[in-house]
Amino acid sequence: MSEPSIFFSEVNERQGVFNRRAFLMGGLAGGGILALGGRLAQLQVLEFDRYRLMSTENQFNFRLIPPPRGRILDRFGVELASNRPNFRVLLVRDEINDIDATLDALSQLIPITSERRRQLLREISRSPKLVPVAVAEDLTWEEFSRVNVRTPELPGVTADMGEARVYPHGGAFAHVVGYVAKVSDRDVAAAGLNPDPLLHHPGFRIGKQGVEKALDTVLRGKSGAVKTEVDALGREVRKDPEGDINPVAGKTVVLSLDADVQSRALEVLGEDSGACVVMDVQSGDLICMASAPSFDANQFVRGLTSAEYRALSEYERRPLLDKALSGTYPPGSTFKPMTALAALDSGMVNPNETVVCSGQMWFGNRFFHCWKRGGHGAQNMHEAIKNSCDIYFYQTALKIGPDRIARVAEAFGLGQTFDIGISGQKPGLVPSTAWKRKQYHQPWYPGESLSFGIGQGALSANALQLAVMTARLANGHKALNPRLIKSIGGVETPSGAAAADLPFKPEHMELVRSGMAAVANDTTGTAYRASQLGLGPVLMAGKTGTAQVRVISRAERASGVRSNDSLPWHLRDHALFVAFAPYDAPRYALSIIVQHGGGGAAVAAPKAREIMRVVLLKDAAIRARIESPLPMPEAPVSTTGEVEGEAPPPPSETILPAAAPAVTGGPTQ
Amino acid sequence: MTASAITRPGERDRLIVKLAQIDWTFMLVLCLIAATGAAMLYSISGLSWEPWAAKHLIRFGLCVGIMIVLATVDVRLWFMSAYPVYGFGLLLLIAVEIVGDVSLGAQRWLDLGFVRLQPSEIMKIGLVLALARFYHGLSAEAAKFSWRLVVPVVLIALPTLLVAHQPDLGTAVLLVATGGAVMVLAGLSLRVVAALAVTVAAAIPPFVMFVLHDYQRNRILTFLNPEADPSGSGYHILQSKIALGSGGLLGKGYGLGSQSQLNFLPEKHTDFIFATLAEEFGFVGCISVLLLYAAAITIALRIASISHSHFGRLGAAGVTATFALYVMINGAMVMGLAPVVGVPMPLLSFGGTVMLTVMIGFGLVQSVRVHRYSEITSGRGTLL
Repeated sequence: MSEPSIFFSEVNERQGVFNRRAFLMGGLAGGGILALGGRLAQLQVLEFDRYRLMSTENQFNFRLIPPPRGRILDRFGVELASNRPNFRVLLVRDEINDIDATLDALSQLIPITSERRRQLLREISRSPKLVPVAVAEDLTWEEFSRVNVRTPELPGVTADMGEARVYPHGGAFAHVVGYVAKVSDRDVAAAGLNPDPLLHHPGFRIGKQGVEKALDTVLRGKSGAVKTEVDALGREVRKDPEGDINPVAGKTVVLSLDADVQSRALEVLGEDSGACVVMDVQSGDLICMASAPSFDANQFVRGLTSAEYRALSEYERRPLLDKALSGTYPPGSTFKPMTALAALDSGMVNPNETVVCSGQMWFGNRFFHCWKRGGHGAQNMHEAIKNSCDIYFYQTALKIGPDRIARVAEAFGLGQTFDIGISGQKPGLVPSTAWKRKQYHQPWYPGESLSFGIGQGALSANALQLAVMTARLANGHKALNPRLIKSIGGVETPSGAAAADLPFKPEHMELVRSGMAAVANDTTGTAYRASQLGLGPVLMAGKTGTAQVRVISRAERASGVRSNDSLPWHLRDHALFVAFAPYDAPRYALSIIVQHGGGGAAVAAPKAREIMRVVLLKDAAIRARIESPLPMPEAPVSTTGEVEGEAPPPPSETILPAAAPAVTGGPTQ
Repeated sequence: MTASAITRPGERDRLIVKLAQIDWTFMLVLCLIAATGAAMLYSISGLSWEPWAAKHLIRFGLCVGIMIVLATVDVRLWFMSAYPVYGFGLLLLIAVEIVGDVSLGAQRWLDLGFVRLQPSEIMKIGLVLALARFYHGLSAEAAKFSWRLVVPVVLIALPTLLVAHQPDLGTAVLLVATGGAVMVLAGLSLRVVAALAVTVAAAIPPFVMFVLHDYQRNRILTFLNPEADPSGSGYHILQSKIALGSGGLLGKGYGLGSQSQLNFLPEKHTDFIFATLAEEFGFVGCISVLLLYAAAITIALRIASISHSHFGRLGAAGVTATFALYVMINGAMVMGLAPVVGVPMPLLSFGGTVMLTVMIGFGLVQSVRVHRYSEITSGRGTLL
């Protein structure tokens, strides 16, 4: 106190200070409460809508219900892909405090190997916190119920009954029907900005190949949801049935395939590598589209180990490849009907005119050989087809030139892809002078016509194209298109018969067909022994083909061409056969390729016969024709070592300019 | 206040007169707050007295009894017991430091067998009493700024450091703020206050970075950016804000708060009870309760200002400051304006120790009112 005061004692001064300060404090407290009130006004009045929404999101949970995936059936309703119940255990990271403890508890109930556990932990750390992760799938009912009983004590763990895809035929349809597998990051990326929430569902599998992939969205259906009120631990408190959205099942897809034929084709191909396509000559329906060797599509559903996958992808015979669509091979002698038709259509060749075959011919500066060392002698067109005489077709091709042959080949479906609803077709190649100019900026050399005429050189085709070619020839009128998908969700897809007419004279086609009938039914035909169906009056017509994949040197030819058996697998010839039946009223066309199988007559034709028998016997009208079906005769065993249809060496040695061999050497698959 | 009743000598010491001098309006406000708390506890336990609502009311009843008894205790007795209570509290804090039961990661409890004691709560009263007693004997000039202020600084620092070491950051902050409030009320130079405020503001960032425990630091960092990890440490704040905001103007209705009923709200019965209230009764309900708190603070400060003794003034105001700080800190925390520290809403939240502390403190306030004409002459300017 600097100045003495009578009226204000020291005590009174302290009281004055206190009262002022208490007033200040009261003001501060009032200000604080005012600030709290302001904040409340902000949260509760101004931002009310936002927080009400967040509260509702907390309170209600839409649990995704995956729709049942649509079934895939064959033409008679046999299931090619269906669903089976799958008991599994799911885990939501967000609701679990101690992952290790939860996994420990779970491993008391169901087997979890330490390897699986590591894998799981990795999976859990990678996936978003709210997305369930499948701990175990395909549990037995006992394991499932054991977990189910304990779930109340294990927050974040649910025992769930889902559905899993099953392919009852295992590998038979693995390429055509395809398979479903776990959704990959790439699938999610491909789904765009707003992916179907199903993609994150642990049980969901996405189509990866064949019909499953092409029609994935159709088969998938629409997911439903169950609206539930949940507490903070995600436990259901109350269901709200009015808020439920029912899932919409995926549509059923019916294919034109016949499960019996397809299975038989796979059986007949056995360990061989190759493909077989059977097509209805009237409707264009694909009855069979098999690729061998195959793999078990069910393995892909549960997921392959890396070792399993490596075994499949590294195997020389390429089981993962759909050879019916994406394997292109030189058609070899099966192409000769095309050359013949081109010759007839050109008007430059009289079918009765003969060409003398001495086993070889000199052209350019080298010999071109016929597959038959001694030669066939004088051959007219019919005989040339029946005997598959190379010299006849060398001469013919030379006479009419490549562009006429190419036109016919293209009219019959080679060098193009068809809209059959699934992807993976390779168009192969039909060479022509225009192609040669465009691709190599070079003129067409006459020597190339020789190879082209017998279905070698740059020409390549897949099994589907060869089946279409044969079917169009057998049909004789229509440029049939193949159809694989018969109906989607009960809606029929357009038939392959609604096609333009073939621009060729019926009598010309009949001439070629009779040549093919002779191949199979004339005792001297190249495939006579292998083509006897044993179905009474129902006969098959066909054409063999043996496509060479290696160069036969002059020295080897002099000392005798090595037999296929003595060569390593990848150097052996491709065996091919195309056929249609019944010859007199064609209903079915077939093509078969046995990669590096050897001779067409010895290897491909007998397999074709087996498959064709099943096809015909399943047709009621044809069964009626066979008054008394005879028992199947034993397949005659080929005794001679002579190989039909052997191609001349690819003209790589001397005739062609250096640039061409890269393509004309194409037979090497 | 009936002036005629207290004119005769000795009249004021009669119990019935003392009881009449208790501020019953203040009592009514406190009862309303506690009853609201009980109503909310009844709601969040699914409209049941168990496990919280009944206990809350019984405890409050007992506390009211204690408060009335303490109101009749002569303020001179409070004065004499000031340092002993402080010393006892300090000893208990040290005891906790040595043998304390580690619960919830912090050594806050001392298990005495029959009751688990939280010495930091005793200290909240003890500190106010000790400071009031000290300032009672200090001149206004010395209280402004002098070397003798070392004593209150030490009185504040000792328990604060012990509590902070437990670690209980919320109580430590509360002790410093309460002590500081008493010093300011006693007349600490506002220039010094301003200088201190600047210093503290500058010291906060290094303190947060180097002194705090990880979980304490995380709470503060989370508070600064709660959306960074909404399901992790930001969860409490976010869920509380959702509860508040979704209440709207009039609330979702009694017993219908989804955030609290479905357990999205953490610690819904203790620290976050205000959020439950906000969700079910909305802005109107919140403002009503805040007004009750404002009324309690105003009445308590008025009582302080009419006391004839400096000890009574500072004691009552110090207790009121603690109470106000509880309300501010909890309110700010629940509304996402402050980090999550374990400070409950007094009388509204479930929890015996805090309720007891607050009611003992208000017992002092009532005692100050009852004995407002008492002069305290001893102990002037001395420590003991």
